[in-house]
Amino acid sequence: MKRQVKSFFAFLLAFMPIMAMAQIDGEFIKPRSGKFLLQNATVETITKGTLKNTSILVENGKIAQIGTSISAPDAEVIDCSGLVIYPGMIDGGTQLGLVEVNSVPETVDYAEIGNFTPNMQALTAVNPNTEAVPVTRVSGVTTVMTVPQGGLFPGTAALINLVGYTPDQMYAGAKAVVMNFPSSARRGRFDRRSDEDIKKDNEKAQKEANEIWERAKSYHELSQKGAELEYYPEMAQLAKVIAGELPLMIEVNAASDIQNAIKWVADKNVKVIFSGVDEGWRVADEIAKAGIPVITGPVQDLPTRQSDRYDAAYSNAGKMAKAGVKVAIRTNESENVRNLPFHAAFAAAYGLGKEEAWKAVTIYPAEILGVADQYGSIEQGKVANLIVATEDPFETRSQIMHVFINGYRIPLSNRHIRLYQEFLERSPNLNTH
Amino acid sequence: MNMKKTFLKASVLGLLITGLISVQSLFAQSDPTGKKPVTSTYAITNATVFTVPGSPGTKATVLIKDGVITGVGSKISLPKEAKIISADSLYIYPGFIDGASQAGITKPEDPKRPENFVSSNPPDEIAGITPWRSADDQYSGSSSQVNDFRKAGFTIAQIVPEGGMIAGKASIVVLGDEKSTNILKNNTALAANFRGARGMYPATAVGVMAKFRDVYKNTELTQQRSVQFTSNTGVVRPELTPTYSAMADVVNGQVPVLFTAENDLEVRRAISLQKELGFKLILTGLEEYDAVLDLIKSSGAKVLIQLAIPNDKAIKAQKEDVDEATKAQYARVKEAYDQALAQAGKLEKAGIPFAFTTVGEKAGEILPALRKMVEAGLSENAALAALTSNPASILGISKIAGTIESGKIANMVLTTGPLFSEDAQIKHVIVDGLIYDYEIKEKKKGNGNGNGEVKAEGTWEYVSETPAGSSGGTITINKSGSSYNGTITYDNPGGSGSASSPLKDISLSGNNLSFSFDVAAGGMSLNVKVSGEIANGTLEGSMSIAEYGSFTLTATQSPTFTANK
Amino acid sequence: MKKLNYFLAALLGLSLQVAEAQTPKGSVLIKNATVITVTNGNLENSDVLVQDGIIKQIGQNLNAPSGVQTIDATGKYLMPGIIDAHSHVGLDVVNEATSPIVAEVRMKDVVNPYEVGLYRALAGGVTISHAMHGSANVVGGQNATLKHRWGSSDPADIIMQDAPRTIKFALGENPTRVHGRGNGIQPRSRMGVEAILRNGFNEALQYKKAWETYNAAKSQKGNTMVAPEYDERLQTLVDILDGKIIIHCHSYRADEIYMLINVAKDFGISKLVFQHTNEGFKVAPEIAQYTMGASVFADWWAYKFEVYYSTAFNAAILQRNGAITSINSDSAELIRHLYHEAAKTQRYGGLTDEEALAMITINPAKQLGIDDKVGSLEVGKQADMVIFEGHPLSSYAVPQMTFVDGIKYFDIKTDKDDQRQRVSPTEMVEEVMLTEENHRCMQDTEFLFETANALFHTNH
Repeated sequence: MKRQVKSFFAFLLAFMPIMAMAQIDGEFIKPRSGKFLLQNATVETITKGTLKNTSILVENGKIAQIGTSISAPDAEVIDCSGLVIYPGMIDGGTQLGLVEVNSVPETVDYAEIGNFTPNMQALTAVNPNTEAVPVTRVSGVTTVMTVPQGGLFPGTAALINLVGYTPDQMYAGAKAVVMNFPSSARRGRFDRRSDEDIKKDNEKAQKEANEIWERAKSYHELSQKGAELEYYPEMAQLAKVIAGELPLMIEVNAASDIQNAIKWVADKNVKVIFSGVDEGWRVADEIAKAGIPVITGPVQDLPTRQSDRYDAAYSNAGKMAKAGVKVAIRTNESENVRNLPFHAAFAAAYGLGKEEAWKAVTIYPAEILGVADQYGSIEQGKVANLIVATEDPFETRSQIMHVFINGYRIPLSNRHIRLYQEFLERSPNLNTH
Repeated sequence: MNMKKTFLKASVLGLLITGLISVQSLFAQSDPTGKKPVTSTYAITNATVFTVPGSPGTKATVLIKDGVITGVGSKISLPKEAKIISADSLYIYPGFIDGASQAGITKPEDPKRPENFVSSNPPDEIAGITPWRSADDQYSGSSSQVNDFRKAGFTIAQIVPEGGMIAGKASIVVLGDEKSTNILKNNTALAANFRGARGMYPATAVGVMAKFRDVYKNTELTQQRSVQFTSNTGVVRPELTPTYSAMADVVNGQVPVLFTAENDLEVRRAISLQKELGFKLILTGLEEYDAVLDLIKSSGAKVLIQLAIPNDKAIKAQKEDVDEATKAQYARVKEAYDQALAQAGKLEKAGIPFAFTTVGEKAGEILPALRKMVEAGLSENAALAALTSNPASILGISKIAGTIESGKIANMVLTTGPLFSEDAQIKHVIVDGLIYDYEIKEKKKGNGNGNGEVKAEGTWEYVSETPAGSSGGTITINKSGSSYNGTITYDNPGGSGSASSPLKDISLSGNNLSFSFDVAAGGMSLNVKVSGEIANGTLEGSMSIAEYGSFTLTATQSPTFTANK
Repeated sequence: MKKLNYFLAALLGLSLQVAEAQTPKGSVLIKNATVITVTNGNLENSDVLVQDGIIKQIGQNLNAPSGVQTIDATGKYLMPGIIDAHSHVGLDVVNEATSPIVAEVRMKDVVNPYEVGLYRALAGGVTISHAMHGSANVVGGQNATLKHRWGSSDPADIIMQDAPRTIKFALGENPTRVHGRGNGIQPRSRMGVEAILRNGFNEALQYKKAWETYNAAKSQKGNTMVAPEYDERLQTLVDILDGKIIIHCHSYRADEIYMLINVAKDFGISKLVFQHTNEGFKVAPEIAQYTMGASVFADWWAYKFEVYYSTAFNAAILQRNGAITSINSDSAELIRHLYHEAAKTQRYGGLTDEEALAMITINPAKQLGIDDKVGSLEVGKQADMVIFEGHPLSSYAVPQMTFVDGIKYFDIKTDKDDQRQRVSPTEMVEEVMLTEENHRCMQDTEFLFETANALFHTNH
């Protein structure tokens, strides 16, 4: 433990200013691409078991080779003895990149005005330079679904890698149209609607959803026939769901809402993902029977009802998995997406088990979002999103030693770390007169 | 149960003695109206009389003279001037006493905020600290709510002012002749509660408690300063604010604090303030209190519980075929419901004499609620005591009220059966010797088919329950050929008295009667729709006003007009 | 006949206890645990004997006196009950937001022992929480230190009666928004916050003097002096100046922290703890030298502007600079896994197990002035303890049993799911709350911002 901490600091020091350029102190370390040989590690592939004393060659952004005796003389060798390599973690639901400071409205870009705005593209508003990106990726979370919020159809979410200077460079190849399923639950303490008003609002929203859906169907059918339709970007986007081009990611949480949502999608023949699913454990069998995959979380959350067992949220993922639901885990966070491994650990400890919990933040979200050929496990040919850690990164004492995203070696620095470096031993220390 | 609006309309006996209550100055007229009483002495004979809670009912005659009970017994001699009222089949109970009531109370307008208003330091009056206010100034004895509660058997009430954390002083009134002031006693208690002022200090219960301490302690200091000022020279004149002046008798222990505390936590808060500051305490408005029975007892605080039970909608809505988890949830709701009902009984068993408050309750739901409490374990004796002798004692009026004994005010409730039996109805309420008569509703037989002829035409007396209390009037419907026309009278929305409107769209199909009418109110014309079912000369239905909601309406067809035989 | 007497005596004894309202105290022997004492290292395969709520012995091969239950904790960890120095669980009211200073209000007045959040905290090993007034005022109300004796209906039972008085202060965005922008009075800026504090303390000094003068004069013959107005607000500030109350100050930015240190120095106040303290790391040497330390979040940042320049290494920097440092929750959710929050100091700054665990036990105990009674497993201390499956700093750790004064209030194996103490008799369907307001620092201030409710989702 102590030794490992030391090596982490040694690593940090390696990136400290080496030479001073004119008027600029220090050197900024950028992510850099190249050919890297991660040598002699324990490799947790997720899909192909654990490989001991194994090396990984990263080349052209991909995992070029996995083996015990890789020969790559021109590669930069990184000794990983005693370390563990995992695939980068994927958070299936965040607002990362869409908000800088939540209480400052000028920096909040995850919600648009309007109830039906599926054409709002999260990818457009992702700020590649948000402070949250370097803060998040050093924790081993390399890829996140960033999701708009708001009305009934608030927009289109996008999967991004946490490296790149433009949204397109970050884009990881998956999008989903988001739907907030009409809810019969209270939105919180401030929601002071009467039971009847809630019911009415819910019925109204259901009706509206149905009407919109019918219009989108017509839009799709008519445009299939080659009709020249009036400009209607909202319908055009939802029609992509009907056409099977994009999945529909339905945010749904209360048990009765989940049941309604299952019924609602039953005859629609579209690709559906449920997100949130706070009360999934109450109706786990029904979700499993419907075959709908789930991106659930946050795990570290309060129960939805006063009468629920205290660990209802911790154990939700485990109970759904046990019933046969494919479960991915999300934080639903923005600045603290870095806690994804800890949410997964809690799910693991409260019934999901470590192995399934790892899958829930790697291969399952990749499969659910349709990018498992590229992401979610350590396999030859997949995108080189890798993390190298002193031990299981779900443990807080584990130190992440190296991170690779898209084959880029990521500097293990961010503002949190820089502030640590500056202020651990402040100078001057106390006022001296 | 239906009633005639006031004794003015119906009670001959009542009219006979009104003159005794309001002293009239002589202006050399006899009584050309024919309403002057012939006698002020009455003998209610051969009824089953419950003189004090706990004693069995005995056949007896009650003699009343000038509003005072002058004799109770089976062998009392009746003076010649006594008018005999035969009450063979009736049961007589002491008139009910309401420990804390807001029937007839209208909240005074909020004072305007001053120019330099700062929410951190608002004037007392705006912040709800108005101990100088009196319920007298907010009370109207002619309010329909007062009628409602009298009809439910209440003859005396402690009326409590509306307001903020220290609302003002309560008074004790007789629910009698509306021409009288009816005040038995004023300045009987200081009404306080944990309600914060909206948007200013103190805004929350925690602020209210701090402010209460502040007001209390500074009243004490102000009194000290006053003593110094009046007994020495050279002392700075103390600042006598209306608040400190009005709080003086509370701090001196002459006037108790009537603290509204709905649940056990609020009860604890009120008692902790009392222990800290030392005032006399009456707890009122208790709804959830089974966790603090011991504390209440040891504190010596007096107690007025809500004369209400939780609604049973949740219990009744429970379904049969549900999973185990839901069943467990149901069980807990049921358990909570049963517990709520059983509380009054537990209070009795704990040996705490208590009475009731009706603040926030509807008069019509009071007897049924009380019967439920009795079903759930409260003894009938304790229930009766809580309506009569206990409040008399808590309010300090035991010498004049609470039982049927010689020398006490002639306040009584006459029922058709034992009070706690399902069928018993209140037939007369005697207040101050004034007799109010109420319609006795026949037990429903059939549903109006059979022989019961359904007729719309005639005169109907109706009562409608609205959020503002009950209101009523007369509906007159005439039939000409196959069409109807008619009028309706109602409480004048523009002020006092009643107003009337013609009826529109009157239709009777089967048992169903419907019509509408327009009411001019506040420069607008409101359309009111009425519909209901007629059965056995009774119309039961609703009155709805667009955007305001729908209210129950009950009407009885004449001629079942007078109760006095 | 004898039996009857026995029952009578038992009954009488019982009712006597109720009348005295004594908090329950238990006896228990926990065997074969890894005992994490926090103050004296770890003891493998050791036993802890508790009698009447007090730790009597720690060692090996201890025997249970007759009548004392034994719990086998082989393979498990036993640590002191976790202490949360910043919570709003168990309070009916959080903010009396209406005035920049409300020192006179007492959270003890509005403690609610029925709040299921208390049980949920126990299920996370938390035995003591600091139930604080909110952060709407420069000087908020007086806080209550709670012991989580779940199941009692009497607030007095869950208030830690032997804890010293503490009071809430708040600097920065919250008080300036509520009063300056919401109400149009000072403070509207961090300058104003300082002015409010200095005004308040100076008025308190005048108040104190006025009473002292009066008290000295009143026994004199021919006294004409009358008693000054009573003002508990000022009296409470006097008590702070007299060192009778520990200040717990909501603060974020380094400048405002530094300001309060200077104010405290000027008024001779030394009992001062900073809460949240996100930029405490920038003035860690000053905090270490002049105060009772800082109670911080493990990793919260960026939810509002004044926490944008934060670092998750805050706790580690404070610790390394010698400040007493604790990790708190300010949240009904976070309070359930403070052991995990403390563990984050190992990811962010590599603190040792002992340092990390001290941040949720003995350090918050020091900041609440109760470290002589709780916060470590030592003979003579109150037996607040948690048994963990797995090391408490592991992300996979699961609390198994939680004891307060030797009485078990949480047992993962035997507790029923539904822990509600009160159930509405009239609600058919239980409410489903999807976005429960975990963070209540600004609860009860809604009325000041009716048009801008959205603000409240991120206000700590």
